[in-house]
Amino acid sequence: MEKVAITLNINGQDFDMLVEPRKLLSDAIREDARLTGTHVGCEHGVCGACTVQVDGRSQRSCLTFAVQAVGKSITTIEAIADEDGGYTALQQALHEEHGLQCGFCTPGIIMTFEAYLRENRDPTNEEIRDVLSGNLCRCTGYQGIVRAVKVAAERMRGGKSEGGQS
Amino acid sequence: MNEGAPFNVIGKPLPRKEDRRFLTGRGRYLDDIDLPGTVHVCFVRSPYAHARILSIDISEAEQMPGVVAVVTGEQVNQWTAPLRMAPPIDGLQPMEMATLPVDKVRFQGDPVACVVATDRYLAEDAAELVMVDYEPLDVVADMFEAMKESAPKVDDALTSNLVSHQTFAHGDTAARMRQAHCVVEAEFRSHRQTHLPMETRGILADWDEGRGHLTLHVGNQAPHPYRSVMAGRMRMKESEVTVIVPDVGGGFGQKIAVYREELTVAALARHLKRPARWREDRLENLSAASHARENVARTRAAVDANGCLLALELELYEDFGAYSFYPANYLARVIAMILTGPYRVQDYAFDVKIALTNKCGNGPMRAPMAITSWVMEGTMDAIARDLGLDPVDVRRRNILSGNDLPYTMATGETLEDINPAEVMEKGLAAFDYEAFRRRQIEDRKNGVYRGVGICNVVESTTYGSKFYKAAGIPGSGHECAWVKVEPSGAVRASAGVMATGQGYETAFSQAVGEGLGIDPANVAIELGNTDVAPYGMGSRGARGGTAGGGTLYLAAQAVQGKALEIAANLMGLNSAERLRLADGVVQQFANDAWSDTELTLADIARVAYLDPTRLPDGMDPGLETLKAYDPPAMTYSNLVHICEVEVDVHTGEIVIPRYLIVENCGTMLNPTIVKGQQLGATIMGLSGTLFEHVVYDENGQNLTGTLADYLVMSADKAPEIEILDLSTPNKRTPAGLKGMAEGGVMGAIGAVTGAVNDALAPLDVVFDRHPLTPDAIRGKLRDRI
Repeated sequence: MEKVAITLNINGQDFDMLVEPRKLLSDAIREDARLTGTHVGCEHGVCGACTVQVDGRSQRSCLTFAVQAVGKSITTIEAIADEDGGYTALQQALHEEHGLQCGFCTPGIIMTFEAYLRENRDPTNEEIRDVLSGNLCRCTGYQGIVRAVKVAAERMRGGKSEGGQS
Repeated sequence: MNEGAPFNVIGKPLPRKEDRRFLTGRGRYLDDIDLPGTVHVCFVRSPYAHARILSIDISEAEQMPGVVAVVTGEQVNQWTAPLRMAPPIDGLQPMEMATLPVDKVRFQGDPVACVVATDRYLAEDAAELVMVDYEPLDVVADMFEAMKESAPKVDDALTSNLVSHQTFAHGDTAARMRQAHCVVEAEFRSHRQTHLPMETRGILADWDEGRGHLTLHVGNQAPHPYRSVMAGRMRMKESEVTVIVPDVGGGFGQKIAVYREELTVAALARHLKRPARWREDRLENLSAASHARENVARTRAAVDANGCLLALELELYEDFGAYSFYPANYLARVIAMILTGPYRVQDYAFDVKIALTNKCGNGPMRAPMAITSWVMEGTMDAIARDLGLDPVDVRRRNILSGNDLPYTMATGETLEDINPAEVMEKGLAAFDYEAFRRRQIEDRKNGVYRGVGICNVVESTTYGSKFYKAAGIPGSGHECAWVKVEPSGAVRASAGVMATGQGYETAFSQAVGEGLGIDPANVAIELGNTDVAPYGMGSRGARGGTAGGGTLYLAAQAVQGKALEIAANLMGLNSAERLRLADGVVQQFANDAWSDTELTLADIARVAYLDPTRLPDGMDPGLETLKAYDPPAMTYSNLVHICEVEVDVHTGEIVIPRYLIVENCGTMLNPTIVKGQQLGATIMGLSGTLFEHVVYDENGQNLTGTLADYLVMSADKAPEIEILDLSTPNKRTPAGLKGMAEGGVMGAIGAVTGAVNDALAPLDVVFDRHPLTPDAIRGKLRDRI
């Protein structure tokens, strides 16, 4: 298959790459931009491990072709940090609430909820579980993740300095 | 060995050291490692469950641009040695398996060829061009069909598909059955499931032509045994193979054995003299990695009129699939050995049959003995049903309490330092069982079907060498660890076990910190590299805590001992008796109190390495220890799961409003990590009981090749779980550790099934098989409601 030259903007940086039109965005991020924090768990859009943000909204990068992401602003886990390079409120809460074990699904969960918490600043446990149902985790049983999202939302609303993304 | 002393750092709920890299996308999993010039391997797999391979035409695939090589079993089997699975176990037929099949395929997904190309997309394209001519053979996709004499043979070298058959009897069950008030019979059908780590299998093999050395990057739970098998099958020495395990995205038992694909990739790297990698896709993982849990169990319980258990007989069957990458009796035997678990019964017999079928081969999945507690507690519930008794009363009459312990089970296993009766009572009180029963009656009047399930579990956790010997399974239960203090005082430690998400770097640093007398933050845990770690038996069962953590604790204590001898010498003391290390500082006991001295561990390390003339006479320079430890034959934890369900009889939907666990898992290295294991295991058990199902049709076609077909419990279906602790230390192990992490699976299967049956008791139905999907529930209720 003929390769095409494209430029992807990932985490505010332009990456020039030569890809086949069928190349998945997840593979382009991992192989061409060498940002390996985005994980590939099923390649058919169910597990959620590959979730990134495209123009601020969470999206499965395994269900998107790289060429479809040209001209958009892609954010991956590597760009998630507070202003000082430390944890965001969500990362901090996941750490405290033991919301991760093997860590493979974790970047997808963070990308999902960093976006979601901008839209819903005060989610109920039920709402959190509903959104989290799009990300499979085989290790934690979800309870620590749900708790962490709740704690992060509280801190973000409280405007505490250690948490919160702009 | 447990001194009963309070711990300084063991037992603290420290947050995990591993988290930073995982939370920031800086973990390094297998696919994140990149070597220049790496080629990608894609396997060509059989579409048939059972077929003769007539010919394989690779010519078209070979000519595709980007393709480096196309190989079949003809070549790969010359480069590698076959696997011979022939442990000396009575009733087990030996099996020999080539690296890739050349005569016939045995299940849909069996690899028959592989394509090597410069990228994964091209390799997959070329795999489509490999033309395999098959002659389909009769398929046997059901274990009971497979055991019939007329059945097609899965492995032509065997006398039959009955690959393993063992029996056992203690006491006289037949006599007890004759004397009994009645004999209660029950059946349990567990369905096929798969491990489903979020990261699939894979390998990156790097051949160093100059040194003749093979380095394998692979997600694996037991790096040293893996290296031994890999070296043997590559016809190399262990000294010529290095296994490096990066961060692993879950294992659950699927990442222990050397798989045929991994061996093939290693052989290709050596043949092609360049790095080669394989990343399994999810379809392959679901259909061709390893499966588990397809069992049928039947129990016959002799009881008196009060429900006291007089004797128990177990018939157990397992569908093992097409290949034996583990001894075929390995999984079922543990179920049979520990079945009676928390209950008093001495007259016990079992008959365990394992059959080969044309399906993916089995592997140990988190709690290989998962159905044990469901079978035992389901039997208790059947006794209560048949005799018209309360299920709690039946349990109370049979459960082991303080007076019974230590208790030697009919199978010869000794249970000690457990408290099943106390744990169950604490659970019932916390759940308020009596109040539940009142609420249940009220709700039934309103058409609400609420039920409770109680599952007592005795979890076999750490298997010592004596257990393996007694069970006739080759292998060792020992573990090995080293602790090193570098000249600067920096502390490193390693063991042969390997983490797949359990947080070993944190928990083990606490074991070392405690043993050495330093802050765990200053301990670097280095696991997974066979050139760095000492030879150990790896992670399986629930041995990480006791075998891994326990050995590290002992090694660290030994290093502290040497450090204090050096300190005593430097301080001009005759003995180190009144010295200890605390937070890296030497303390001295005087005037009934410990107080800091000027000496630190760093000072001692500097002397040990750089100023050895100041060491005690005859002492070797350096400050490090290598320590091996073999745990008792078996350690046990115990727990109870109490699950409340509400079943919608019109839709078949099951909701879990309350879920309670009480657990005794011994000393906890880190209670936060223990809780994470309890929660994860419980949801895995519920997921398997309610959702997961590997479905094969009668032709052996796998119908569940995506995560839209193979359903796992998602967050919106998972219950909130309450956990109470009633731990007591094991008196025989370092620091009183027992191990845990599989009991949650065992408890969940039994508790939720018992709850559903309790809820639907007024409708006179008993569910004896899984998964308990809405379809299954409605199927049984259809002619009733």
